[in-house]
Amino acid sequence: MKNILYLIFILLLFQNYSYTQETDLYSLGNRRLFADFLYCQKDYLRAADEYKEILRLSDSDTLHLKIGLSYLKSGSLDSASVYFGHVKINSLLYDYSRQAYYKCQFLLNHFDIVELGPYYYNPVDKLYKFSSLLGYKELPVNKEKFLRPFEADERRAAFDFYDRKLNPPYKNELTAAVLAALIPGAGKIYTQNYTDGIFAFLATGLMSYISYTDFNAHHQFRGWLFAGLASFFYGGNIYGSIASVQIYNAGINFKLNSDMKFYLEDKNYFVPDYEFCK
Amino acid sequence: MNSANKIFVLVVLTLIPVFAQDYLENQMVKGNGLYSRGEYFDAITEMKRLLYFDKEKEYTYEANKLIGECYKAGAKFTEAINYFSKAEQSAGSPEEIYNCRISIIRINILRRTNLRASVLLDAIEKDSRYSDKKEDINYWRGWNYIFSDEWDNASLQFAKITPDHLLKKLCDSIDDCQYSVTKAKLLSYFIPGAGQFYTGNYVSGLLSLGWNILWGYTTITAFSANRIFDGIMVGDLLWFRFYNGNNQNAEKFTEEKNTAISNGALNYLQNEYNGEKP
Repeated sequence: MKNILYLIFILLLFQNYSYTQETDLYSLGNRRLFADFLYCQKDYLRAADEYKEILRLSDSDTLHLKIGLSYLKSGSLDSASVYFGHVKINSLLYDYSRQAYYKCQFLLNHFDIVELGPYYYNPVDKLYKFSSLLGYKELPVNKEKFLRPFEADERRAAFDFYDRKLNPPYKNELTAAVLAALIPGAGKIYTQNYTDGIFAFLATGLMSYISYTDFNAHHQFRGWLFAGLASFFYGGNIYGSIASVQIYNAGINFKLNSDMKFYLEDKNYFVPDYEFCK
Repeated sequence: MNSANKIFVLVVLTLIPVFAQDYLENQMVKGNGLYSRGEYFDAITEMKRLLYFDKEKEYTYEANKLIGECYKAGAKFTEAINYFSKAEQSAGSPEEIYNCRISIIRINILRRTNLRASVLLDAIEKDSRYSDKKEDINYWRGWNYIFSDEWDNASLQFAKITPDHLLKKLCDSIDDCQYSVTKAKLLSYFIPGAGQFYTGNYVSGLLSLGWNILWGYTTITAFSANRIFDGIMVGDLLWFRFYNGNNQNAEKFTEEKNTAISNGALNYLQNEYNGEKP
């Protein structure tokens, strides 16, 4: 009887021990579960902290990759690059981590590093091509060479960007100035700035008309005053037309860059998400 | 089994649930400690850990509420409201629900979504469970008016609590100090520059008066000399522009002065007032 009691006691102790183990919130297993939970809840900075705590006790490529991904998602690209760079070359995750590393370099505008990236990673080659579209690298003259890394469904967009970069629909400053000199406001209308164009035409015309009528009525002072104003509007209209062309052309560049940015974001920079959330 | 063994076994048996409770409770204590030390990021992490491992959902209310407080302390108001709402959903008593709703209202006051705060206060006031909370509701309604820059209405709310409420006196004094936009505009309509004088912007007032006299005089003399076109042009393009600008200036200066007075009062409340604040 006494032996049975001791046996029960020992069993209870073990049960107790196992229970406390199971409820150790900071055990490696529980930390891993919690870190994954945080990552999947998009609480990336906390997830990274948890993964790093696990990493202090148990090194693994998966952890390096997950920390890198957490930092990448939270926008800490430098830190993300460091952890992607720690994944070992013999790991199954190596290829993916290298692509993610180059994605970080691209987002950090480190295009020289992207350029040195291995071209057998198709996404890296595509990113390099986009760095030339963004103006950081020389645009290849050979269109076919430029389009080579892109898949069939991506070629149309890539070609469109390439074409817009190579032949931007810029307006000419001299044309705008000549048009504005011939017909006040025409330079602005040339840059599709219709309201300003009409206003410039009316203001210059009105001031000139008032000046003309004042001179006719022998009001010399007012005649010269409005003639001065007319000249001011006329000169401003020419200067404004040139400025309008510059703004228009800057808008073309801005539109192209923002279109490319949206496209790249939509394509996740050609590096697919590493999904481990169910 | 002798009595000593029985007692021993009983002690071991009672220990088991104690262990099970302890780790969650300890986690809650840890979170509260981090919060009280101002370590909000870590406090949120520990509370999220507690929520993740609290399978019985014993601490859902407390943990979510504490996370809400931490986010609020870190000025992450949207996240704070999200967690207070979660706490409200898991609240076990009307008092807990009330506390969560008031927390949400206080955040809305702080981030100046005053209309939302007002709607929530109306809803809580109509709830029969909280008929004994009138004073508290009036108090937060008063604060909501303070943050809406309606010091007179705020004073009325605090007066409902006690006629000589400290905040009522403060609101009255601020309301007395503030300039009337209507008065400033009316003064400017009758005497250009008078609105600026009213708000203490004497130079601007003098300039406004000078410009209006000059262009008013020019316009009137033009009409008197039957130079109708000149009169219309000067009157419309110059006098009207300065007269209108004078009115807009008066309004702008009054609003600037009132904002400065309100900001000073809010600064005083933040640093010197010891009662509950949003």
